[in-house]
Amino acid sequence: MIKSTFLALSAAAIILSPIGSVIAEDLAAPNQFTGTIVPFLQQHCVGCHGADSAEGEVALDRFTTSANVQKDYELWEKIIRLVNEHQMPPADEPQPSPEEVIAVSAAIEAELAAFDCSSERHPGRVTIRRLNKAEYNNTVRDLVGLDLNLAEDFPSDDVGNGFDNMGDVLSIPPVLLEKYLSAAMTIAQRVYEDKDARRRVIPHSPSSDEERVDVARRNVREFASRAYRRPLTSGEEDRLFAIMFAAWSQDADEAEIYQTVISAILSSPNFLFRVEQDPGPNDDDGIRELNDFELASRMSYFLWSTMPDERLMELASKGALQDPALRVQEAMRMLADPKARGLVDNFAGQWLQLRDVSRLQPDPQKFPDFDDDLRTAMRQETETFFETMIREDRSVLEFLNADFTYVNERLARHYNMTDVTGDEFRRVELTQGRRGVLTHASILMLTSNPTRTSPVKRGKWILENMLAEPPPPPPPNVPLLEEGAETLGSLREQMEQHRANPSCAVCHTTMDALGFGLERFDAIGALRDRDGRYEIDASGELPGGRKFDGAAQLMDILGEEKKRQFSECISKKLLTYALGRGLVSYDRCTINDAVSRLASNDYRFSSLVAAIVTSDPFTMREVMRDP
Amino acid sequence: MSIETSRISRRTILRGLGVSMALPWMESLAPRVSAASISATPGMPRRMAFMFVPNGVHLPDWTPKNLGYGYDLPHILAPLAPVQDDLTVISGLTHDKGRANGDGPGDHARSASVFLTGAQPRKTEGSDIRSGVSVDQVAAQAAGHATRFASLELGCEPGRSAGGCDSGYSCAYSSNMSWSSEATPLGKETNPQLVFERLFGDKPTAGVRDQNAIRREALRKSVLDYIAEDARKLQSQLGTSDRQKLDEYLGGVRDVERRIERSDSEPKVSVDVDYPVPKGTPSDYAEHIRLMCDMMVLAFQTDRTRIATFMLADAGSNRSYRHINVPDGHHDLSHHGGNAAKHAKIREINRFHVAQLSYFLQRLKATPDGDGSLLDNSMIVYGSGLSDGDRHNNENLPILLAGRGGGTIDQGRHIRVADETPMCNLFLSMLDRFGTPVDFVGDSTGRLQGLRATT
Repeated sequence: MIKSTFLALSAAAIILSPIGSVIAEDLAAPNQFTGTIVPFLQQHCVGCHGADSAEGEVALDRFTTSANVQKDYELWEKIIRLVNEHQMPPADEPQPSPEEVIAVSAAIEAELAAFDCSSERHPGRVTIRRLNKAEYNNTVRDLVGLDLNLAEDFPSDDVGNGFDNMGDVLSIPPVLLEKYLSAAMTIAQRVYEDKDARRRVIPHSPSSDEERVDVARRNVREFASRAYRRPLTSGEEDRLFAIMFAAWSQDADEAEIYQTVISAILSSPNFLFRVEQDPGPNDDDGIRELNDFELASRMSYFLWSTMPDERLMELASKGALQDPALRVQEAMRMLADPKARGLVDNFAGQWLQLRDVSRLQPDPQKFPDFDDDLRTAMRQETETFFETMIREDRSVLEFLNADFTYVNERLARHYNMTDVTGDEFRRVELTQGRRGVLTHASILMLTSNPTRTSPVKRGKWILENMLAEPPPPPPPNVPLLEEGAETLGSLREQMEQHRANPSCAVCHTTMDALGFGLERFDAIGALRDRDGRYEIDASGELPGGRKFDGAAQLMDILGEEKKRQFSECISKKLLTYALGRGLVSYDRCTINDAVSRLASNDYRFSSLVAAIVTSDPFTMREVMRDP
Repeated sequence: MSIETSRISRRTILRGLGVSMALPWMESLAPRVSAASISATPGMPRRMAFMFVPNGVHLPDWTPKNLGYGYDLPHILAPLAPVQDDLTVISGLTHDKGRANGDGPGDHARSASVFLTGAQPRKTEGSDIRSGVSVDQVAAQAAGHATRFASLELGCEPGRSAGGCDSGYSCAYSSNMSWSSEATPLGKETNPQLVFERLFGDKPTAGVRDQNAIRREALRKSVLDYIAEDARKLQSQLGTSDRQKLDEYLGGVRDVERRIERSDSEPKVSVDVDYPVPKGTPSDYAEHIRLMCDMMVLAFQTDRTRIATFMLADAGSNRSYRHINVPDGHHDLSHHGGNAAKHAKIREINRFHVAQLSYFLQRLKATPDGDGSLLDNSMIVYGSGLSDGDRHNNENLPILLAGRGGGTIDQGRHIRVADETPMCNLFLSMLDRFGTPVDFVGDSTGRLQGLRATT
């Protein structure tokens, strides 16, 4: 279990470090704008997007000395995207070289990094979120004390930005509303049948007939307030009581009266949605600070994927959660709680895509050794590792280069480790060229095809999910790599041919090098030294000249040289998950802060969580602004 | 065959299929004359189903060489031999809005979201998802009140549960094809057992309802009133995008209310379905698809709904088909780069899907409906939103139209429409035949000519 004192200490350290002390380094030297960006615009853009023609009402010749990022950041982000995707310049115009594209993107990125976070606040706005399936199940469990898992039967939640808790993406088709209603009735019935649950939902009983109405009201008020995660208004209480009264006047018995009102509460949008009020006319700059109860829900759904517990609600009712230091302290308490399993299941399960492990189907002919025990063990290894990162508050860089992992007998056999028996997972030292989660069988498998490895997929996955450097899509009309046909030589030789094409080489040099470093592991993550008739060559060179041979060396290099990129990546993923919305340009202020807090706190996981729960986007809400 | 005997045999066959029932419209609308040449009964309800397969097809083994009646069946379409005369292969249709049109990569996501909407989806990972109202929902919103369920949305894959789906498009675009509004994709049901329970779970009780039943219903209504009022109160306090979510919520409440009112007012339909309740989701893919097809047949047969959509797999699916000796991932294979070995595998996957369609069409054909069969009164569209999985092109889509639409479609042909004819033109013509005509749908430019052989 977590040493709470240890966490409290690190929490204190985090609070002491001045918030927002780090301003984005001034990466955008003025000569970069005039030296790189302006010539590119002149050569490739202003012919159509100049003051005279301004196609799409975009005129770029007005930018001669500065990108004006404070005002025009959305335009610049769009320019980067379109140029990277080869959408602009249009195909029938002369095309910039791959090197030019990379240089201009980097220069614009540097300009955007100069966004001055102190000049204005932009917490952004989260669309009202309904509970997703995991949150619904957990919330019902904690509300009535019954683990019913009724959301298993709901339609699946769509994923956006890599996560299934995005307000905008979570819709409510009619079939879901039907399921909500029938689930609410089922819960109400089961609560009444189960003694403990009943005592939890209906704790007070009248000692005399005169008390009956008051006690009923009190039971309903308390339950609804917990279900809605805020105090009930008197109007709401009256309306709920009216339902009970109407049932009573129709000769319903007590069970039926309570079941009706419980169904109503559990089908209400106040239970199913996480409601946050928009800023009103009296809020400065259209920005409103969330109230305590809204904050309590943000914290609990972020760290636990469930409703706030009693302590959070009590703190909220005292107005204490407005204090950032206390929020951090509470966050540390919550991370130490078993309910933090919600963060493993839902954040790690989606960031590292462990949920996919359950649905992949490696080719049984090529991998006769693969079975469901191994599948389960693969997922559990990475989950247990993630849990350890939280529990021991370790450096997040260990996702890249940890020298330990967790195995049971089945997985140990897969890893050629001896002396591990039984189903229990235990901590072991990594050997045989493994380091960090990228060498876990789970991730090696989910970045492969059913029949073979794909160094490109692996490389792309690392860039997207670990280094925050998603490669741009391939230019249109470039033939895809013909991987795997043995007549053409080894996979590696084929890919090297592919890279002979300079427009491919630009991105594939990095992507492939990362993937090749992992080639000693097959499509289910087992060690190998041959691929068919070819000997494996897992050596490579990263841009910048660092050479490596095999995964262990590669991971050590990443852990040393990609600290910033990895910190940025995990911060972006965790903030997206915490907010339930995609990140936008001004969120870079929060990301910069999180990255610097990680760096100054030995990259401890808790410092990232602390940065998020004290950030503007997590604690405020902005009016919808015109795009 | 006289009307009398046909009705008797219909009942008998229905029992054989697992359904015995007496539907009011069947009695009152039975025709006085038998339609000899067109095996469909005027006034019988028409049904529509739309089936989607991912990653395009191997067109050289899909497209018949001959046009018109008596077309040849290439390798992929061969399983359709028993129902060849009940379907038309339509070559040449296009989904222009599935093309990038300035939005860059993401063809798979677009291919599903455009398939029934004909609308360019907004490229977004998670904020402000936008497509268009899909053709099935255009029909459902106009005529869905006639049945207990306005429409049914089915699939075999629950959608990705992590990671990205396609190049900057939210997974909502890849895993749904029915959209009830431009911002509301309709999640699909993948578990046949839950479909069955939803369709037939609350059997309307015949005879007099007792006091308890009346009270239960009243209590249920009080719950609905309460939550609807909650939603309206919230709506008055929240911003635009939040209001829209509550609109979706209220739409669901109204649907349930409507169903309760219907069961009050409608003549009692007594349905006794003794089809074995499916047990969860089968691990065998073919069985899974066939069960879903059975659900559509049962739903049409009992008039639980007249509109269904079914995604055999999600857009860009990389499912392995090892049960037909294709262990590779489908999406991975579809980028065949002209490799013949990959072509051979792709066409087996395509043929496998078509074989399941054939099963569905045969079931519909074997189910009497009026003087003809359910298939006679249906319009079933089957196809992919991509043409070739490697080129990712959206013209000359592989599309089949089965069923006679109540005798309004001359089946058994291979027709080729002019290049770049919008797929939505077909939808427009189908909506006419369904009895819910509109002026346009998606990017339609007019009605599709040629569904009758004479035109």
